[in-house]
Formats: sequence, structure tokens, C-alpha cells
Amino acid sequence: MRIELALFASLEPYLPDADVGSGRRTRMIDLPDGTTVGEVVARLGLPDQPRICFIDGRGVQESDAIRAGSRLAIFPPVAGG
Amino acid sequence: MASILRVNMSDLSVKKEPVPDKYKKYAGRALTDAIIFNEVPPKSDPLGPANKLVFAPGLFGGTTAPNGGRISVGAKSPLTGGLKESNSGGQVAHALSKVGLAAVVVEGKPVDANTVYVLDIDENGDGSLMAAPELKGLDNYATAEKMRAFKGDAKIATVTNGPAGEMLMKAAGIAFSDMKDLPNRFAGRGGLGAVMGSKGLKGIAVATGGTKAVEHADKDAFIAAVRKFSNALKEHPVSGQGLPTYGTNVLANIINEAGGYPTRNFSDGRFEGVEGISGETMREITLARGGNVKHGCHTGCVIQCSRYYVHEDGSYWTKGPEYETAWAFGADCGIDSMDGVAALDRRCGELGLDTIEMGNVIAVYMESGKVAFGDVAGALAALEECAKGTETGKILGNGAEATGNAFGVTRIPVVKHQAMPAYDPRPIQGIGVTYATSTQGADHTAGYSITANVLGVGGTVDPLKSEGQAALSQGLQIATAMLDSFGLCIFVAFPVLDIPAAFEAIFEMASAHTGDTWDADALMKLGREAIAFERLFNEGAGFTAADDRIPAYMLTEKLPPHGSVFTVTDAELDSVHDFVAATAAEMGITKPE
Repeated sequence: MRIELALFASLEPYLPDADVGSGRRTRMIDLPDGTTVGEVVARLGLPDQPRICFIDGRGVQESDAIRAGSRLAIFPPVAGG
Repeated sequence: MASILRVNMSDLSVKKEPVPDKYKKYAGRALTDAIIFNEVPPKSDPLGPANKLVFAPGLFGGTTAPNGGRISVGAKSPLTGGLKESNSGGQVAHALSKVGLAAVVVEGKPVDANTVYVLDIDENGDGSLMAAPELKGLDNYATAEKMRAFKGDAKIATVTNGPAGEMLMKAAGIAFSDMKDLPNRFAGRGGLGAVMGSKGLKGIAVATGGTKAVEHADKDAFIAAVRKFSNALKEHPVSGQGLPTYGTNVLANIINEAGGYPTRNFSDGRFEGVEGISGETMREITLARGGNVKHGCHTGCVIQCSRYYVHEDGSYWTKGPEYETAWAFGADCGIDSMDGVAALDRRCGELGLDTIEMGNVIAVYMESGKVAFGDVAGALAALEECAKGTETGKILGNGAEATGNAFGVTRIPVVKHQAMPAYDPRPIQGIGVTYATSTQGADHTAGYSITANVLGVGGTVDPLKSEGQAALSQGLQIATAMLDSFGLCIFVAFPVLDIPAAFEAIFEMASAHTGDTWDADALMKLGREAIAFERLFNEGAGFTAADDRIPAYMLTEKLPPHGSVFTVTDAELDSVHDFVAATAAEMGITKPE
């Protein structure tokens, strides 16, 4: 299945070599059906620290599976105000 | 023994008095609240002689407590009509503590409206007022420069009021000098610059060479607690890495992802131009131009989230726009240019206008059709109307609600007349509860529910649902009032919410500094007491439960992309301050008349 992957802030260097998606920090990637967020994290080799993950704009756990055509966005620990 | 400096603008006298017993246990926000509660009748005219303007460092002012140098400014707000606490960084808080002052209270109203005054505070904490007609109408940067030139070699920290405050505009804020003497830190919200202007006070010069105040009951215990706190601040990934690297504007992409990034006057929750104004982009531009991307806003800050934004030649343009500012002049106005945001931020800094309120003002003005969304030049021209004090400018400078009412816009995102910050309350309901119920009006820092709603800090609460939001906001409002009373930067909340040692370190520092026994309960009690002052004052000023509500259109107008509306019930909103009655009874206070 094809999904849009977005990685921000200090995770940007982990963007894989693939077609750019809707924004500069996004890539269109192919995954087996039913891949979970955690499996994508492992595949990308993201650093071992807390992260914030969204699928189609909703916060998700790493055990959640991704559906075809959706957008997975991952952030390192960020905050502000 | 600390003192209070009483500055009477009616007779131009300045007197120092010992802190009265009833104020001794308070500092920062709790002290500004206590003074306004006790000394300003709640129905007073905010721009009249009965209002008071109070500046107070927190309990940790003048100490080496990490991130303990914030300042609270209190008054009856001309914008909200309630008891306002506006908070700022910069160097003034530590300077005031070190000259032995717990608070500066500006009272009365000058007889001569043709001049403005500067308050000069020396190393002993003694003050004098000087007429300074040459400063009338000058912007904040020029004012601070002239004040410094007047003092020659003497080192000072400055408080300045811009032309907007002199014109009594309700969006006017007060500027404080940073570690490089630039007047670019702000007590922005609630129109306290107008209060300062109504009192004819253009600036305060505080000698930074004071050596008082920094006595600890147990110095060794204090130092140990400082180390513990500092380690926790550095250890937590938000305060230790995320904030220092990207600054607060790193939030742009994540709030946009969550679908709560208010775009074109709160008509959408995603902005297609977000990458033009994101924290990542701001950092790239600044580095490419040779600017500095990491420093603290006051001495003792270990988080260092601040930066300067620079021109193409690397020269200083403005304080690195915070998330709220980049959003207000960016997405809310449909502007996707970081340089456009910087130009608008710089102009507001010069004039002394709150960027959150003014971003909303311009967005509402754009919705009226007077300027197109995305038009940077048109937005700058609107600010020039404010600078010139034209009829239009005076409307715009009075805030988003005044602008909407004058120009026929009905979608006005305010609570208690104050404009909403950079999170839409419909898909992020926890911040909506804070906007609705905070004594401060639509305010994000007052109870920053974004922590659990979006960032996974201090737990998780689904932002799209109403469950758990009232309790979340209540806890955060109390904790924030506590932090504001210590002079602690609220960004310590991120490690405090996740690392028990960080929370313990706060009351260990408090105990070691004061000699009193502070524990978790004592900390929360302080927060509850500050809010009790504010709630009772507001009741006395005429506020009711009807003022603790999100604007009606946000209950029905669905916000893309999630199609959300605000669903937290009135009963849930009214539960947020259910602790106030018991707290007030314990304090022995009742609603003032």
C-alpha cells in the first residue's frame, strides 16, 4: 500500500529516498498492508526517544496499523507556547 | 527584608514601604493578584486613577533558581475588564529583587497630560520620577536607547511603553529589556500598556547592580535543589533539546498536523502555507543569514528557547517570532512568508502592541474585505494606521472584537473580549476549556492543555473529545498560577509533568530559600489562592458564568479538516473553578465591592 510519510524537526534527516509528497518534509512510500506505526519507526531507524505520531491528523499509538492512502506524521518531543 | 515601591503619579511622589503582613507570603502573580484584589475596587475604570499597575518578580527573583526570573504585571485590564496578570521574561525581575523590591505599584494619574515620566530605581531600591517630554511618542527601541544614553555608564534593565500604550489602545503591551538590552520581551496580553499610558509612565529604569535579596535560609540545600532542577530541565527532551534547537515555533507543523492551526480567521484548521512560517524554516533562514539561534531571555535560563530573527545581511531584525506570533501574522492572516511575519512582529514591538491580539485584528480586518488574506503590505499598512493614530488605527488598536464590531465581521474569536491564541478550540477541546474558563480571557498559557491533548506530555487526552478536558484544564490552571508566582518560566512545566524529581526540586528550592516548609500541597494551594483572588475580583467586576463560554459560532460551525465543533458542556465548564469557594473561605476573603 502507498502512504504519505511526514517527518519533522530533528527527524527530518530520516526521510527515505522517495517521491516528495504534499510538503517538503513528506515522502510517498510503499508498505505491506497492515504495517503498524511501530514497524515504520523501526524500518526508518528513528532514534530511541519519545515521539508523537498522527495518522490523518489524529494522535495514534505505535501499535496502530496504517491504512492505504493515509498520512503518517511523526514528531520528536516538541513543545512551545 | 524586601520592600514595596509606591509610585504615585498624581503627586509624583515615590515611597518605599516594608511589605505588609498580608502580602508577605506572596510573590509574582500571587502578589500582583493580592494587591489588585485588595486595593483596586473591581468596578473601577481601568484607565482611571483608581486602577493600579503592579510589577512583581516571583519568589525566586534574584536567586540562581533555573528559569526563575520571569516578571508578573497586574492591573484591572482595559481589554477584559477583569484582573489581569501579564507575564514576561527579560532582565527586570532579577534586577528588582536584587535592589530589594518585592513589587513596584504605580498608582493615581498625572495632572499634566502633556508630558510623560520615567521612573528611575537605583541600587538601593529607591526611586524618583522625572518628566521626560522628549520620549513622548517614541517607539520602544528608541525609548530604551534614550533611557540608556541618559544613564550613561550605569547599567540598567528597562521597562518601556510604546506609542500604542500612550494612545490608550487596548491591545497595548509592556516591553522589558533582554540580556542584550533590547526591549523585545513582552507582557503582551490584556492591554496593560494602556494602563501604563493612562498613568503617564513611559519607562522604568532599574539599576542592575543591586546586591540585596539573595539570602537563603539554607544555602547548601538551595544549591543542591538547583542542581536537581537544572538536571531535570536538561534531561527532558522538550526543555533540553526541542525548545533550544527550534524555539517555540516548532509547534507550527504539529498543531497543523493535528488540524487545529487556525487559518484565515479561524476558518480552517490547516494552513497550506505552513512550511513558509514553520520553526524548521525559521531556523534554516536564520542560520543561512548568520543569525543566532539559541539564547535565554533572562539570566539563569537553562532552556534557551529564544533566538533573534535577522535581515539578509545578518543584522538584528526582531526577536525570533514565537509560535503564537508566527501563527498570528502567518496562518491566521493567510501569510506564508517568514519575512512578512518578521516585519509585522518588528512593527508591533516598536509600537508596543500584543502580537496575538494584532494578528487576530488583522485577520478579522481581512475577513471584512478591507485587506486581502495573504497581503503582507496591506497588513503592514493596517499597523501604520495604528502608528499614526488614525480613526481606523484607533479601532484596530483596540483589539479583534472592536475591529469586528466596527467593520461588520461576526466571526470574532474572543473570550472575555480577548482574542484567541494559536490553537482552535474545536479540534483541541482542552485548550478550549482554558480559553473559556480562565480568568484571563482567551489565554493559552493560563492552562496549557496542549500538553496532554497533542504533545503526549503529562498523559494523553483525546483532543477531539470533551472527556477529561475540564479536569485537565483545571489542574493546569492551578499549576500555572503556582509557577507564575515563583517567577518560573512555564516551559519548566514540560519536565515537571513527566519527571517527579523536577516537581520535587521546586518545593525543595522554595523551602531552602524561605525557611518555610513547602511541599506539593503547599505549591498547589498557592496556585489556588492566586486564582481565587482573580475569580472573586472578576465577580465583583460583574463577570458571570455567561462569560466562561466559547463564542457561539464555534459550537456549530464545523472546522476542517476534522469537521469538529466545541462540545464541552456548560456544566463541565462551570466545574473548572469549583475549588474557589473553599479556597476563598480558607483565605478569609470574599467578593470585593
